Amino acid sequence: MSLWKLALLIALFNLMTFGNGPVMIPLLQTHLVEGARVLTEDQLLYAFTIARVTPGQANFYVASIGYMLYGIPGAIVATLVIMLPGYIMIPLLHGYEHLRDSRWIKSFTKGLTVTSVGLILAAVVQIARGTLTQPIAWVVLLATLVMTQLLKWNILVALAAVSCLGLLLKWLL
Amino acid sequence: MVESSLKRGEDKEQRGNYTTRVTRGELFSIFLRAGLAFGGGLGILAVLEEELVAKRRAVTREEFLTIYGIGRIVPSGTMTALAVAYGYTFGGLSGTVIALAALSLPAFVLTIALTIAYHYLRNSRLFDLLPVTIMPAALALIVVVALKLGKDVFRPSRELILAGVAFALALFLRLNPALILLAGGVLGAFALQKAEEENDTEEKDSGK
Repeated sequence: MSLWKLALLIALFNLMTFGNGPVMIPLLQTHLVEGARVLTEDQLLYAFTIARVTPGQANFYVASIGYMLYGIPGAIVATLVIMLPGYIMIPLLHGYEHLRDSRWIKSFTKGLTVTSVGLILAAVVQIARGTLTQPIAWVVLLATLVMTQLLKWNILVALAAVSCLGLLLKWLL
Repeated sequence: MVESSLKRGEDKEQRGNYTTRVTRGELFSIFLRAGLAFGGGLGILAVLEEELVAKRRAVTREEFLTIYGIGRIVPSGTMTALAVAYGYTFGGLSGTVIALAALSLPAFVLTIALTIAYHYLRNSRLFDLLPVTIMPAALALIVVVALKLGKDVFRPSRELILAGVAFALALFLRLNPALILLAGGVLGAFALQKAEEENDTEEKDSGK
């Protein structure tokens, strides 16, 4: 896969998912991990995680993927490609009133959102087959869910805590 | 838009002293601060509100919310769209470049630094510990995204059926997710119109 094909794929997926970063995961998983095999599942997960723990936009994990494949030029191209559609904002500022009331656009994005819930969960199952190979991994996954969802811990704190938990279990068992 | 309503001079009274100009230097520092904010989109939004509405009075609260609303339908991520909007309003096209650069710089540098760390990690024994620490945790974070997006999906509804069918088509029939996504959007445009109405949830924010 050339840098330009990667840029084209990311640009396309970004537009299709309305710039909603995490929704691109199933698309990238299918095309880069399973299809072209230029990326491993671990790399995709790692890229996604660092975007979650760094400040700024969450869809910047494409910069990490760009770097993994093509170094700094890859990172820059990937970032530019997801930011450029932002310029649609300028004409929109003038013709907004018509769009806001468009039930078609609203229900279209609603359909995208709902569908992506199914797609993301399907990608999770696929990735889990390769990633959750030891019981400890399952414990860490469940602990992360409990800490971030039920206990409402900060993401950084939760990541540090579950990493310690994983290491401790690995050392004990 | 901010400038046009200024020119037209309507709501002059309502605007009161909301006439402050923002220089290019300030634009850079405001968006750099926004780019350093943790907590994704909402963290960034909080900084912008503080700087542009509360502190500098460069934008009224209503304009701020309108621009946020428009930004949500732009396919680049809401915060990128906001950087373009305010950059353009206060500094024209060069303003957009300044705002975008400032907003992205912290995330870009940190992301690349941590990606380089991964390369080093890969060649060390620590790499064997990733499968019991960061990797399953990352998977959990993706599940969280799905749960947040699906706030009104996980109950008996047309949405649940659509999500379930998408899940099955992707996992069992291995159809291309891009095709499923487009089909879901088109189907949604026809089948989910009624459900939409007052249901404008925060779905897009969960990802920022």
